[in-house]
Amino acid sequence: MEIKNYDELTSLELDTLREIGSIGTGNAATALSQLLGREVRITLPEVRIMGYNEAIEWIGGPEEITAGVLVKLSGQMSGIMLSVQQIEFVNLVLESMLQKQITDYAQLAELENSALIEVGNIMISTFINALSGLANIDVNLTVPAFTVDMQGAILTVPMAEYGGQSDYIMTIGGNFVCNEHEVPCRLLLSPDIRSLNFLLRKLGVNDG
Amino acid sequence: MVNGNKLTIGIADMKMAKGEGVLVTYALGSCIGICLHDPVLKLGALVHIMLPVNMEAGRKNPLKYADTGIRETLHQMELKGAVRTRITAKIAGGAKMFEDNGGSMGNIGQRNIESVRMVLRREKIRLLKEDVGGGVARTLLFDVNSGLGCVRCYGRQELII
Repeated sequence: MEIKNYDELTSLELDTLREIGSIGTGNAATALSQLLGREVRITLPEVRIMGYNEAIEWIGGPEEITAGVLVKLSGQMSGIMLSVQQIEFVNLVLESMLQKQITDYAQLAELENSALIEVGNIMISTFINALSGLANIDVNLTVPAFTVDMQGAILTVPMAEYGGQSDYIMTIGGNFVCNEHEVPCRLLLSPDIRSLNFLLRKLGVNDG
Repeated sequence: MVNGNKLTIGIADMKMAKGEGVLVTYALGSCIGICLHDPVLKLGALVHIMLPVNMEAGRKNPLKYADTGIRETLHQMELKGAVRTRITAKIAGGAKMFEDNGGSMGNIGQRNIESVRMVLRREKIRLLKEDVGGGVARTLLFDVNSGLGCVRCYGRQELII
């Protein structure tokens, strides 16, 4: 059955999306691991359907400053994919790639930004490649866009993009574990409703 | 400027306070916070809208949109005794959070700004001050006693509007 809103997803459909999330983040973790030259694992992937304000609390409050890498999906599937990079993750990347640590985002310069964009872009592309291979669909990705600002405002970008369709936001993603501690790298995929129906149909769990 | 109770307004949400109190909404990106104020009653309302125009069939959530959000807020203020000709507005938000090369993201922030200005004009509400556009997120505080707004950004000085 075609869904009109995210909260109509059945448990079978949610399980399927969780599986996609698992494979996507698994592949992204492998790519990250190769980039950083150290082992990176993933925790249990999550599929979440949240109200706007709930989503902002979930990510850790509205005003917290984070780096965000955004890629837009088009082609057979449209959506937005975000890599929300909190400071622990930023330091993990900078330490491995540039032997550098920061305490404040203001210390990021051109070179550090490039490293973060590259890492975000590679993880997102790997995730989407895995997804498009699995469902046999063509997805085009835009050049990554980057900002450092309040994470609440970063998260409202996918919300506003699909706000006319839904009062909820759907995210698929997970956290990474590196050096035995959890690094909150939020890798988030927010598909639009039409693409979600298409994806589920392609995967054979939505026969509408 | 923080005197009295602080009330937090979420996305697609609105709250009012009378006499004293501070209304605050966090991390406005492309969204816009609209402060409406009746200075005689010292009645203030802050509404946090996300999109320019309500085209939903069911209209379950009027506060999500500039047009229905502002009208609903004005209506609620009038129920509390506010007089339309006295009500003034101050707005903040409407940023473009990500600068993209291909222009594929559109510019919801800019459309929000234009819609808010137009709706205020149609409702004959004077727009006193604004801090809109650009590429930064904004937290907006609004003191209902003085009618002053304060905009907080990352890496920028606080701005009184």
